Amino acid sequence: MLLELADVHVHYGKIAAIRGLSLEVGEGEIVTLIGANGAGKTTTLKTVSGLRPLSRGRIVFDGRDISRMPGHKRVLAGIGQSPEGRGVFPGMTVADNLAMGAYARRGDTSKELAEVYELFPRLAERKDQLGGTMSGGEQQMLAIGRALMARPKVLLLDEPSMGLAPMLVQQIFSIIVEINRRGTTVLLVEQNAAQALQVAHRAYVLETGRIVKSAPAADLLDDPQVRAAYLGGAADAPITADPE
Amino acid sequence: MSGARADKGGSVSWLTRARAALRGVREWWDSASGPVRWSVYLLLIVGAVLLPADAVGNVMSPDSNWADLLFFPIGGYILLAIGLNVVVGQAGLLDLGYVAFFAIGGYTMAILGEKVGWSFWEILPVGIVVAALSGVILGAPTLRLRGDYLAIVTLGFGEIIRITARNTPAIGGPNGISGIPHPPTLTDWSIPDVEPFTSLGLGGLAPFEYGVLDARPYYYLMLAAIIVAIVFVVRLNRSRVGRAWAAIREDEDAAELMGVPTFKFKLAAFAIGAAIGGSAGVLYGAQVTSLNPAHFEFMVSALILAAVVLGGAGNLPGVILGAFIVAWLPERFRELKDYRMLFFGLALVLMMALRPEGLLPSRRRKAELEEGTGGMGGLGAGVAGPDGDPHEVKAEVAG
Repeated sequence: MLLELADVHVHYGKIAAIRGLSLEVGEGEIVTLIGANGAGKTTTLKTVSGLRPLSRGRIVFDGRDISRMPGHKRVLAGIGQSPEGRGVFPGMTVADNLAMGAYARRGDTSKELAEVYELFPRLAERKDQLGGTMSGGEQQMLAIGRALMARPKVLLLDEPSMGLAPMLVQQIFSIIVEINRRGTTVLLVEQNAAQALQVAHRAYVLETGRIVKSAPAADLLDDPQVRAAYLGGAADAPITADPE
Repeated sequence: MSGARADKGGSVSWLTRARAALRGVREWWDSASGPVRWSVYLLLIVGAVLLPADAVGNVMSPDSNWADLLFFPIGGYILLAIGLNVVVGQAGLLDLGYVAFFAIGGYTMAILGEKVGWSFWEILPVGIVVAALSGVILGAPTLRLRGDYLAIVTLGFGEIIRITARNTPAIGGPNGISGIPHPPTLTDWSIPDVEPFTSLGLGGLAPFEYGVLDARPYYYLMLAAIIVAIVFVVRLNRSRVGRAWAAIREDEDAAELMGVPTFKFKLAAFAIGAAIGGSAGVLYGAQVTSLNPAHFEFMVSALILAAVVLGGAGNLPGVILGAFIVAWLPERFRELKDYRMLFFGLALVLMMALRPEGLLPSRRRKAELEEGTGGMGGLGAGVAGPDGDPHEVKAEVAG
């Protein structure tokens, strides 16, 4: 396993956000973590990338225990993240944002830059535009591209579809598949469960800080419980029933 | 009614014109070549050297000694603002107790000069190091906090330093320390009393002789310190350190995700800002010969922060202009007697209302402000690093 979380607990003050979470991501996989608002999806990613300390449990990455490793060192270890809300540097140009992505690395980064521009031609067109003045979709592309600049072994994506038009969502998801096809492992956190389950190999369902279900993604697409809770089956019922 | 409206229209078009002119200057500057830039720098330095001339003083401060004002508060505030700008404008950390480092520099000069008997030139590096160390000591436990929490802690630190000084009899308590030695004279060479210096009022001035009455040599000393600080800060800002600060200011979490050791760089910003504040303190102590805790009230922290924000945090020319205005306006309004602080406040409010991003903001700063990040902290709850105690920070909203 490339990434392994074992019995991880995370607290905000006295409130437990993650309560004994265990999950595994194998090399070359796309694994998705779905769940409702506040289930602990973002916290899980932040704990993996080192932005949140864990109060119990263990994170093993690439054979090393990284539970206590500071966040900025995990980048060099091979963990890249496109954070919640994209986290684009608003006052830096697209090119400078991408350069920041390679901040921890020394040496030539032109190969990665060319690859990012090839994946996202839109970014190449807007090299000199300030990050803060771009549209939501472009910012999402920039956030993913920036994470790729560090040549991560695993790419953590936090709600890449948030706030995007349906067409853009399609585009972002097909790029995620392409990134994975080129050899990067992906851990994807999504509220848009239908989309996420279509591109992922495996999936975990998170509820109030615990994994309640784990299965191949295709199976969950057909799972009646998951359909009802996350794919808009039963959730739509009260609204459609209303007029009568 | 219609008169008022016409008046308003007039002032708006005046503002637009001023903005366009500013943009023109900026574009010209961006495209200016190396030699052109160096000539401008040289002209600015020559201008600063000629600034104490009588003709300038008569216009700028008819009511008080212009050279005194140029040394402090004007020069002193500019140096302090350059230092605070490293912390607030470049790294985006809100420091409300910056006066503490000024006080530490001043007291280092006073104690080592008056009690130990060292000379100014020996004390200057010591004062800078002591201030930088105190910056690290303050920063190490507190820089895990963000935004308003950090502001509160730094505010407390500023008060602690002042109150400690007031309650420590060994350093004079509330009476402070007097008899601080002036810097030794470097050379008694004086500017020849011939034209054009005579009509400028600079004839016969010995610029490197530090006496009791003439503040001009001290002003030149301050000017030298300001130039050194500017060169240092600009070079730093163009390096990897500057890029790291910019990233931290714009999005601290994202910076950490890029592999920037955010804590280390925040600490460095604190130490460098403190060092510059300390140097201003040493210079100040060496001129005033006597200082006490009342010189280091919270008001100084607030004014320097106002200077940085008013001028355009992060943009050095703006910060210098802001410091100049904050230091000079209350003196210029002296003829208004008791009302002068009222007018000073009014001027500040007006300037912030008309140009909320500062008088000379950097373009980048504008983009950051529109995004609602950058500088002054995110005003959000603190987030601990992976090695921090999860219980020491307040809860934040997370998905």
